[in-house]
Amino acid sequence: MIEVEALTKRYGSTTAVDGLTFAARPGTVTGFLGPNGAGKSTTMRVVVGLERATSGATRVDGRRYADLPAPLHAVGVMLDARSVHPGRTAYKHLLAMAQTHGIGKARVREVIAQTGLEPAAQRRAGTFSLGMGQRLGIAGALLGDPATLILDEPVNGLDPDGVLWIRRLVRELAAEGRTVLLSSHLMYELALCADRVVIIGRGRLLADASVQEIVDRSERAGTVRVRTTDPETLARELLALGAQVVPQTGGALEVTGTTVDDVGAAARRCGATVLELGTQTGSLEEAYLQLTGDAVEYRTADTLGGAR
Amino acid sequence: MTATTTTPVPVTTRTASGPTFGRVVASEWTKLASLRSPWWTAAVTVLVSLLITYLSAQASSVDPVFHPLSDVNTGLLLGQLGPLVLGVLVGAGEFRTGAFRSTFTVVPRRWPVLAAQTVVVGGFGLLLGVAVAVAGVLGVVPAAMARDVPVDLGADGTPGVLLGMVLYVAGLALLGFALGALLRRTVPALLTAFVLVLILPIVLMLADDPYGGSMSAADVRVTPLGTIGVLLPGTGGQLMTMPASNGPIDGSPDLGPVGGGLVLAAWVLAFLVAAAVRLRSRDVR
Repeated sequence: MIEVEALTKRYGSTTAVDGLTFAARPGTVTGFLGPNGAGKSTTMRVVVGLERATSGATRVDGRRYADLPAPLHAVGVMLDARSVHPGRTAYKHLLAMAQTHGIGKARVREVIAQTGLEPAAQRRAGTFSLGMGQRLGIAGALLGDPATLILDEPVNGLDPDGVLWIRRLVRELAAEGRTVLLSSHLMYELALCADRVVIIGRGRLLADASVQEIVDRSERAGTVRVRTTDPETLARELLALGAQVVPQTGGALEVTGTTVDDVGAAARRCGATVLELGTQTGSLEEAYLQLTGDAVEYRTADTLGGAR
Repeated sequence: MTATTTTPVPVTTRTASGPTFGRVVASEWTKLASLRSPWWTAAVTVLVSLLITYLSAQASSVDPVFHPLSDVNTGLLLGQLGPLVLGVLVGAGEFRTGAFRSTFTVVPRRWPVLAAQTVVVGGFGLLLGVAVAVAGVLGVVPAAMARDVPVDLGADGTPGVLLGMVLYVAGLALLGFALGALLRRTVPALLTAFVLVLILPIVLMLADDPYGGSMSAADVRVTPLGTIGVLLPGTGGQLMTMPASNGPIDGSPDLGPVGGGLVLAAWVLAFLVAAAVRLRSRDVR
């Protein structure tokens, strides 16, 4: 269980996190989503006590992180940033972590096997690829068999096998009743494994809801797409009914403010042959882009012009 | 005994036992010993000390009154750089590489980590100091044998000098470590260490005039610059590596080996306290 309460974190005049409140609950994979620079990593670093909140509070299992009697058993942490000495082997890195909590070598070998690191266990971490580094980070997070996992961009740099493995792993961890908080800047990654998504932009909460709720919230949800032989006549007919019509390429129309039945009837009335007709479902990706549209810190001028 | 829980706990609860000081020390030892740089630095330090002592003893052996053991500490002239570098690499390496993120999420109270690293670096420094002292003795043996002078380790305050060498090496390792942990970056920490231990003593010595223009040794007086000089960590610490009978360095008050050692210890402690304050009060990013 992770609770973030009115968390604000400032660096000088820059506000990285601004009054953020959310909770990640046991048995659930909570996706933590936002564009790069939205404050995800900062929030996670505050939760695990590496940084101090300017105001507000974060708690794990009802306690401040620093007050946890056995942090490694309570929370498994994998941060996005480098957190391994490049001159140390994977095995020794994990062993040193384990020793702080009196965890034995057998468990170290177990997580090495679990994360598929055996061939690289005796290699120095500096020689690792990004994907290997991610596996090492996850091995460290699993070491204490913790009830809560905080994973910052875990699929970053993983090959397709690794991505599938992570998705399965987090689902399993949540099924065992653990709390999983998983950050990403890519919506589709979370759509496949998260139960809930917490979306932030510029340090502020934009949405905290189930994946389905977010999809339903998409502007495009409920839009009817129709393609006919005579789009102009149909458009006039639909406008007369009070619907909004946006012409698309190839003779298609996107119609809002009406239903698929009414569009079909209108087409019949004006004698246009319907080639294609259906309701659009909002995609998670679109919902995400709409939510974060104003909150993206860096964007190319081109995209910006297109969005206006 | 079974504990009754009001809410079902889905994840198997374990007897969570967290970090103890002993465990953190064990962990820090694994971290230190699993890197290559401490071992390389130590090996080079011992070899350089051996070589310098050997050459120095060879040069001194032409003296009609040749005391081989008076050269036993000459290897430290260059050898003292080794423990400084070693300490800085350990202290700053944690931050330079990002390893601190793992360390401090596992032991979020942070101070036990600094204390454990101090213990581990001090211990490694003592071992290195023993090796350097042995290298010092081995370095003078060839010259002594060539001149047929016996090497008596029990005489002339030699045990004190050898012990002082061990402590000096360990102290310098801790000085480097404390500076690395405080400044968190390798180059600034190394520069500061070298300025304090190597450069400032030479500058002060050149600027100082303890003889007041007189050429007679009887006119040597204690000067402000000389006093500052002996209160530097390296110069103070070096007093441990000289027999007490040598008396004070020209221009400085007589602190003796123990006093000199305390000077070095005070510097180490001051930097460690500063590092601890910085560790507790600031974000680590």
